[in-house]
Amino acid sequence: MNALNVSLIAIPLLPLLAMLWIGLAVVLGKNQGDAGEKQTSRIAIGSMMLSAWAILYLDYLSFTQGFPATVQIGSWLESGAYQIHLNFLIDGLSLTLLNLNAVIILLVLWFSVNYLHREPGFQRFFMVFCLFSSGIQLIVMAGNAALLFIGWEFAGLSSYLLIGYRWQRDVATQNALRAFITNRLGDAGLIFALFFSFLWWGSTEWQVLFADKGESTLHIALISSGFVLAALIKSAQFPFSAWITRALEGPTPSSAIFYGALMVHAGIYLLLRLEPLIAQAETLQIALILIGVLSIAYGYFAGLVQTDVKTAFIFSSIAQLGIMVVSIGLGWFEFATLHLCIHAVWRTYQFLHAPSFLHQVTNSPRPAAQWLQKRPALYIAAVQRFWLDSLGDHLLVKPFQKLAQDARLFEEQVIIRISGNPSSSHLLSRLNAGKEGLKQEYHSNDMGLLGRFMHMLGDLFEWIEQKLVMSDTQQRLQHNFKYIGDILENIERRLAEPRYLMLIIVVSFVMVL
Amino acid sequence: MVLTNYLSLGVLLLLPFLSAVVISFLPAQNSALIRRFAISASTLVLAYACLFFLEFDTSVSGLQFVENHVWNSAQGSSLRFGIDGIAFPMLILAALLVWVTILASTQIKKQVKSYYLFILLLEAAMLGVFSAQDWSLFYIFWEATLIPLFFLIERWGGARRQLAAMNFVLYTMGGSVFMLIGLLVAFDSAGLHSFAFNDIRQGLQTLGEDKQILIFLGLLIGFGVKMPIFPLHGWLPLAHVEAPAPVSILLSGILLKMGAYGLIRAAEMLPLAALALQSLLFALALIGLIYGSILAWRQTELKKMIAYSSISHMGMVLLGIAGLNSISMNGALVQMFAHGLVAAALFMLVGLLYARTGNRYLYDYGGLIHSAPRFALFLGLALMAGLGMPGTVNFVAELHVLLASWQTWSVWVAVIALGIMVNSIYHLRAMRYMLTGPKKTGAKPFADLNRVEFLAAAVLMGLVLFLGVYPAPLLELVSTAVADFSALMQP
Repeated sequence: MNALNVSLIAIPLLPLLAMLWIGLAVVLGKNQGDAGEKQTSRIAIGSMMLSAWAILYLDYLSFTQGFPATVQIGSWLESGAYQIHLNFLIDGLSLTLLNLNAVIILLVLWFSVNYLHREPGFQRFFMVFCLFSSGIQLIVMAGNAALLFIGWEFAGLSSYLLIGYRWQRDVATQNALRAFITNRLGDAGLIFALFFSFLWWGSTEWQVLFADKGESTLHIALISSGFVLAALIKSAQFPFSAWITRALEGPTPSSAIFYGALMVHAGIYLLLRLEPLIAQAETLQIALILIGVLSIAYGYFAGLVQTDVKTAFIFSSIAQLGIMVVSIGLGWFEFATLHLCIHAVWRTYQFLHAPSFLHQVTNSPRPAAQWLQKRPALYIAAVQRFWLDSLGDHLLVKPFQKLAQDARLFEEQVIIRISGNPSSSHLLSRLNAGKEGLKQEYHSNDMGLLGRFMHMLGDLFEWIEQKLVMSDTQQRLQHNFKYIGDILENIERRLAEPRYLMLIIVVSFVMVL
Repeated sequence: MVLTNYLSLGVLLLLPFLSAVVISFLPAQNSALIRRFAISASTLVLAYACLFFLEFDTSVSGLQFVENHVWNSAQGSSLRFGIDGIAFPMLILAALLVWVTILASTQIKKQVKSYYLFILLLEAAMLGVFSAQDWSLFYIFWEATLIPLFFLIERWGGARRQLAAMNFVLYTMGGSVFMLIGLLVAFDSAGLHSFAFNDIRQGLQTLGEDKQILIFLGLLIGFGVKMPIFPLHGWLPLAHVEAPAPVSILLSGILLKMGAYGLIRAAEMLPLAALALQSLLFALALIGLIYGSILAWRQTELKKMIAYSSISHMGMVLLGIAGLNSISMNGALVQMFAHGLVAAALFMLVGLLYARTGNRYLYDYGGLIHSAPRFALFLGLALMAGLGMPGTVNFVAELHVLLASWQTWSVWVAVIALGIMVNSIYHLRAMRYMLTGPKKTGAKPFADLNRVEFLAAAVLMGLVLFLGVYPAPLLELVSTAVADFSALMQP
């Protein structure tokens, strides 16, 4: 293990260890309430500092020796032809983002120490924050799509946990769930892409994915559309934008880092990473431009009519991200990278500053622009955020609810009759009944067809079991041995008699002669 | 490295044997001393076995650490030891589980001296089975495991221990007769006047399919009793239930694996027969899987439930062996290791519970999470692993077997899935009744796991979880041997 490998592993691992450390200390009662705040923040910031040092070392290496490109550390899973390596890709793009992420994470952590002072769940916030830091750095460094997926899930999970930070409030948990489920849709796209790249190309390594294989464009288009779907949802682009406004429920520092600075850019980063694939799929480029333009319009109009500062920022973010998507669609990847960095820094500042606006701004917010007021249809649409949320409800949630109702009907009418009624084996009623409860289970009428069949099979097998155990062997063996012994003894006695002795001697003489 | 000079399989076998000899000279009244000595002896054996990791080369095909001494040239038998990727994990498992067994033997209070003596003798015999590379030597070690086990069950067992011990010995001896005949016929047909694994395998290469099948069937009966395969398992539930809990750990953790290990060796020796009887093996495996799981579901007595679940899990091993390709063999070997760990953990925990409460009925427990959180933690983990939850090594094994079975048997995988489903039913039921819910009235309070027991359980479940998340080391260990095995099976 050389210094390069160690520093590469340290970057995502240290925040993860910090999370485990804080968690363990909380569970063991060593870190509680206000007294534990100093310890918690020191561990979190310390781990991120060390991680940042590792990144600085990478910078130094890259300046002096050029980018290390793909570094193989080991392999995580190997089964026949399927392999997932533990490797990292360090090039200009990932190194830039690693630095940017580290700086922003450190600043926001610093900010949170005071902002969250004496909040219940201080420790929880820092744990989730560390998980997120680990995830976002893993996304950026990953040398293959599978490793990126792990980071992607870390980020998704931590976003869910922080939106629901004040879990006592219904709205918070509802919004957390909604955001999480929308993100899972993107994960499905990612899994889809992973699956097909394994199936067709036998690997998820970026190198293999980007190598010119002379493959059919259909394969490339399908796989990249899976990735692109995931990226667009993470970056809250047009038809999938609704979740991000719900996500503002979390504390301000987390909003800053998730929806202003880092997590929304994870999608853009994935698109940038996929440059060689996207460059080969023209339809996809056109789709990206279209989606980007729609997102710009959406973000712009909806942003005009917002009355609270955080939401206005978020819509402006969507529009900016839309510009990045358009430039990626046009093939201006460097421009998009530059835009991403500038936007991340600027937006973090804005979000962190947002709570202070309340104190600084005294007059009421600026009314919507004159020209917008003259077009009531557009105005209403903007206020309603183009009905994306209710559109989602109508297109996805309602049909699923209907489907669930039908499934429930089918369950009651058909399945339960076959499989038995689970409610009859209700926990409490039988826990108290002990062995009696068991008997009830066997003779219950709610057992269902399958249950009765299984009991029948069980009875049959039990009967076979009885036959297999040689329980009375001892007596039978004894009896048999005694019987054989009696016969032998009889023969022995006869042989001892003189006439048989004579007979044997005669017979032997005959044989010899 | 210089270490190679000090690593010898012969020494590994001698260690527990000599420790047993030393125990026989210790004063019988001083049971604490005897126990301490047994613990250190088994720790030493485990540590010594682990040293082999340092020198074991996973990329080399064939045997390593070979030792060969002519024993009886007139008979063609030799003291031939060696391990490959199939034997080595089993060797480690045996050393590990004996260590766990001895740690978990706190409940043995009478005749302590002879108890530990027999356990260590048993360890020597088991290590011999996995490291012998000569069929005559293998057979001797195979039979040698019977003697200590007979006494262990018969003297320290439950109420019906005599019946259980007799059933165990009669079944195994009955199977061994067929195995011995099979081996003798194989020796005769090979015509190289040697019992060594390699020699017999070479000699039999030209043998016709019919005769190979006959020999293989003899061996199948012999190994099938131990493994166990469906109609030959009559000894198992009784022996597992009546044996003292620590001995059940060894019975289901290692003794069953000896059967599977022997079967793999037999298939290696007779590839034509294995290929011809592939469907038979598959059918037996399916029957065992379903049969065991349904019977386990029927039981309310915990030990019996785990015993029957062992039949079901060993059906999964046989399923992997029946696949005769590299993925399924990977699955079979990983499942052998996984089941060894999980069954050991379950038998140990249930045994410790029984020693504390005198009750082994599932429905008499409840709310262990509150009354004995450490028990609940490990019991929950072990049950999760038993049902093949992702994140445990059992999942890795089942996934391999299922994937390979799909390639060979396609839709029959549905039946396997059914077996897995029934398995999860009773595992989950046990979890629900024992761990959650209100504490049972009338159940007297009992102590949670103490430090030594906690250590043993933590080692077992730690391995299950570690290999579940990162199975690469185990798969790499067996990879070369598996590749050789599947190369033999190309028709």
